[in-house]
Amino acid sequence: MKLFNRFIIRHLLREKWRSLATITGIALGIAVVLAIQMTNASSLRGFEKAIETVSGRASLEIVGSGLGLDEQQVADLGWLRSFGQVTPVVEGEAEAALTDGRHETLRVLGVDILRDRPFRDYNLMEFGGRSPTPQQFLELLIDPKAIVLTEKFARRHGLKTGDEVELTFADRAGRYRIRGLLLDEGPARAIDGNFVLMDIAAAQWALGRLGRLDRLEVLLPDRESIGSAEGEIRSRLPAGVAVQRPARRGTQVEKMLEAFHFNLAALSYIALLVGLFLIYNTVSISVITRREEIGTLRAVGVTRGLILRLFLAEAALLASIGCLLGLALARILSSGAVRLTATTVQSLYIATAASPEPLGIRQVLLAFGIGLPLALLAAALPALEAARVAPMAAMRGNDRLATRYRLRTALLLAPPALFALAWWMARRPPVAGLPLFGYGAAIAIVFGAALLAPAVLFLLGRIGDRILFRLFRVEGRLANANLAGSIPRLSISVAALAVSLSMMVAIAVMIGSFRETVIYWVGQTLQADLYLRPATRNNVATDAPFSPQVEELVANHPEVVAVDRFRNFDLPYGNGLVTIGTGEFSTLLTYGSLQFKDPDGSEAGREAMRQAIGRDEVVVSESFALRYGRTRGETVTLDTPRGSVLFRIAAVYFDYSSDRGILVMDRATFSKYWGEPQATSLTVYLREGADPDRVRDELLAQFGNQYRVFIFTNRTLRDEVLRIFDSTFSITYALEVIAIFVAILGVATTLLTLILERRRELSILRLVGADRKQVRKMVLIEAGLIGTVSQAIGLLIGLLLSLLLIYVINVQSFGWTIRFHLPVGFLLQSSILILLATILAGLYPARVASRLPTTEQVTEE
Amino acid sequence: MSILNLDKVRKRYDGGETPVEAVRGVTMRLERGDFVALMGPSGCGKSTLLHLCGAMDRPTEGELSIAGTDIRQLGDDQLTLLRRERLGFVFQFFNLLPTLTVLENIELPLLLGGASAVESERRARELAERVGLGHRAHHYPPQISGGEMQRAAIARAVIHQPVLLIADEPTGNLDSENGAIILALLRDLNRDLGLTILMATHSTETAAIAGRLLMMRDGVLLAGQ
Repeated sequence: MKLFNRFIIRHLLREKWRSLATITGIALGIAVVLAIQMTNASSLRGFEKAIETVSGRASLEIVGSGLGLDEQQVADLGWLRSFGQVTPVVEGEAEAALTDGRHETLRVLGVDILRDRPFRDYNLMEFGGRSPTPQQFLELLIDPKAIVLTEKFARRHGLKTGDEVELTFADRAGRYRIRGLLLDEGPARAIDGNFVLMDIAAAQWALGRLGRLDRLEVLLPDRESIGSAEGEIRSRLPAGVAVQRPARRGTQVEKMLEAFHFNLAALSYIALLVGLFLIYNTVSISVITRREEIGTLRAVGVTRGLILRLFLAEAALLASIGCLLGLALARILSSGAVRLTATTVQSLYIATAASPEPLGIRQVLLAFGIGLPLALLAAALPALEAARVAPMAAMRGNDRLATRYRLRTALLLAPPALFALAWWMARRPPVAGLPLFGYGAAIAIVFGAALLAPAVLFLLGRIGDRILFRLFRVEGRLANANLAGSIPRLSISVAALAVSLSMMVAIAVMIGSFRETVIYWVGQTLQADLYLRPATRNNVATDAPFSPQVEELVANHPEVVAVDRFRNFDLPYGNGLVTIGTGEFSTLLTYGSLQFKDPDGSEAGREAMRQAIGRDEVVVSESFALRYGRTRGETVTLDTPRGSVLFRIAAVYFDYSSDRGILVMDRATFSKYWGEPQATSLTVYLREGADPDRVRDELLAQFGNQYRVFIFTNRTLRDEVLRIFDSTFSITYALEVIAIFVAILGVATTLLTLILERRRELSILRLVGADRKQVRKMVLIEAGLIGTVSQAIGLLIGLLLSLLLIYVINVQSFGWTIRFHLPVGFLLQSSILILLATILAGLYPARVASRLPTTEQVTEE
Repeated sequence: MSILNLDKVRKRYDGGETPVEAVRGVTMRLERGDFVALMGPSGCGKSTLLHLCGAMDRPTEGELSIAGTDIRQLGDDQLTLLRRERLGFVFQFFNLLPTLTVLENIELPLLLGGASAVESERRARELAERVGLGHRAHHYPPQISGGEMQRAAIARAVIHQPVLLIADEPTGNLDSENGAIILALLRDLNRDLGLTILMATHSTETAAIAGRLLMMRDGVLLAGQ
């Protein structure tokens, strides 16, 4: 311990900046991993917590097929009461208009207050924090415009009991009076206090669901019997009605978000990887600069084992501090990440008002559980090198034999072998819906690339002299010779930098290709002039249908020639959720345009769709086909209110609006099983020559204050699609920036290592007449060379990885076909940027090199 | 004009707890064509004196001029320029850059000085032949013997025709046969080209080749013969 203090701690303190750089690198790596983990957890947590808090004490739920339960059906379920208490629930979303002009989403719960009391606690501020009597509660909510908000929400927005708030349900805006405020407990905690309680009838009316319930909740007197009760209830339920546990809804959402989360997490580990490379560098520097000291220690009797432990302990110390800082940093990063991912999660999956998970023991364990072992692994190589230092050789300070590097055959064979392995793995199917083999292939490619580094550096050493001498004269030659002389050490740095750059390239190519694909798809698919949706319907499957009045106003506008009334909702399928959609196929065939994957070609696809009209047939999105492994001609079984029904897949079409599967059927087919659908979006085709902007304004004027509807023209919808697309990927870029930043830190420390290792040679150089400027120039050229070689390898590997991402990982995780597109401009620009950044990273090492004393190393042997 | 002129030169190091005065008032003069051996026990200040004469360091007190240039006034870059143009160095441990070939090592001073690549290579080849390394020109230092490395170092030290060659134990790490070859080479250079040489050594045998012998002890010169 004393030795550790004297030998390691003092050294780290003396080398403040280098220690700091390493700790920063680790901290960033750990922080990114934790932040993503916390972000992922929080997007789910927000939703699960909402389910949990709103579900209250219910043991089981009785649910319908997609569109809830018909009250007619419920009447026949009176026998449920023999199992326990039963309460009907309507749940939905509303948007509150705030005084500052913003809107906030509220979770709406409509209950029959008399029957609901055993299920949930409603403690109102107005009643001294206690629950009012049923009589008092009934009086509070008797008016259909009466609501109960939470104290938390009210306090946040300066509201009090008796005030009016404007709430929008789907497209219907209205003023509602606050009759009470709930304390921050029970269901009121859902979504951070964004919760509104209504009488069930008022909620049905407001949400446009007259005669329908979302579910019946059952409270068993004895939770032990839940298994048997569930089985018994299931056997007695009629077709189209199911029993499930409340947590199931959370699991379905979790399943849906799984691939998105998994991909983010995988990405976050890159930053960690680069942080570890910094540990390797720092411990290397420690060892190199102290060979003599190590030799002395060995000479006075310190064992190899102790030397090894000393340097491992150094790594552990740096990593521990890094982990601690990383934990703090993660908290900050995760709130940023939550913001960045929120748009994606909300626009593609679920509405949550999630705040990042607070730091807990889980995160601390995760940080140290990942950080420490990996840091020790990274430090193992240099620590072993230290342990191998011989007492005699080190004392002479001259045992670094600059042997010419010889390329080993094994090293040459490894990359092709790994690439072959990658090729094999890339062709395996997904495991449990996750592209595990795809990631295996990515790892194989990355390792193959890393092992390519020595060969590339060797080649550069051979051919570089002529070119660099011509370009940069003697400094170029020296830089090239220096790098060629340090291939073993340099290889690791170049590999690490190349790997993080390849990730950037891969992701840029993938996103660039995806963006091009989406632009093309949008151009082909979006043919209508106007697109309408209710104001509160901001994610794919909120059940927020249009008012009939709005549909009528739109249909009656003189410039409108056709309206496709589209309806969609979520339906449990397999372990997750799929989206069921319905519209008028005939309108779509006449005016619209879908891009078909199978049958190939638009005419064949349209014909298949025409055939599907009036039959039990569906047209499915590519993501459905890929995710569930179904093709055209096969059948899928869907739960409908009239029981399970087999639908034949008539065609598969391209869709990039959602990665969950979408099944679309003709309106007539739909009505047969689910009843007449209320539209959740309207696609409007105008008379030729009509001005969409003018029609949009006229419609909005007709809707007035009564209806809140978003109307996109063709152009603004395209912009909106790209906006959502870009915000989806903004987190990816943020992660990349961090990875590159850490990589640049890595280049600086690597160069510093090389320079300290070459002190003697630098002194010779200065002696034979190199001035400081020449030494600086030489080091900067080395930095630039490291950058160039790394970027070159990074580009090559990045392209391979992008192919993997596009054709394997992406298809297996999301079920999207992406057309390959090379973003040449971006790649060119980033290559130049990387080159400049590495040269910048070389400035400090260059300064150190040029200031080394001329005399010490050469003559004092 | 003297090649090297020291007048009451002192060098003090203030780095540690107690300042150390390594050179305490040395006065000496080397004329063109001199071959001077500097002897003394370890720690006598030989190396420090050599550093001063080699423009690697500046004296704390006293005057020191090399080829008429007073180095007390020079900044680091000017010292570098002086070394590059007027001085050559040979050391005990050869000090070739291991990553450059023999030929590239030899031509390095010329290239650093801005000479043309063609001219540099021509001169380096010439010198390599002269020191008997023509057949080793494209080898790397670790691939040749110690004697050959030292010959290459000498070739590098004189390629830019310095006025003064500083040699620090040039044979200290060689067997006697190779040592003799190196000494003969130095003698030839001194005789044929009139190169001024200041050579530090432990060995009286080595010192015997020089025309003049300086003894140093505790930072001062004992006698000039």
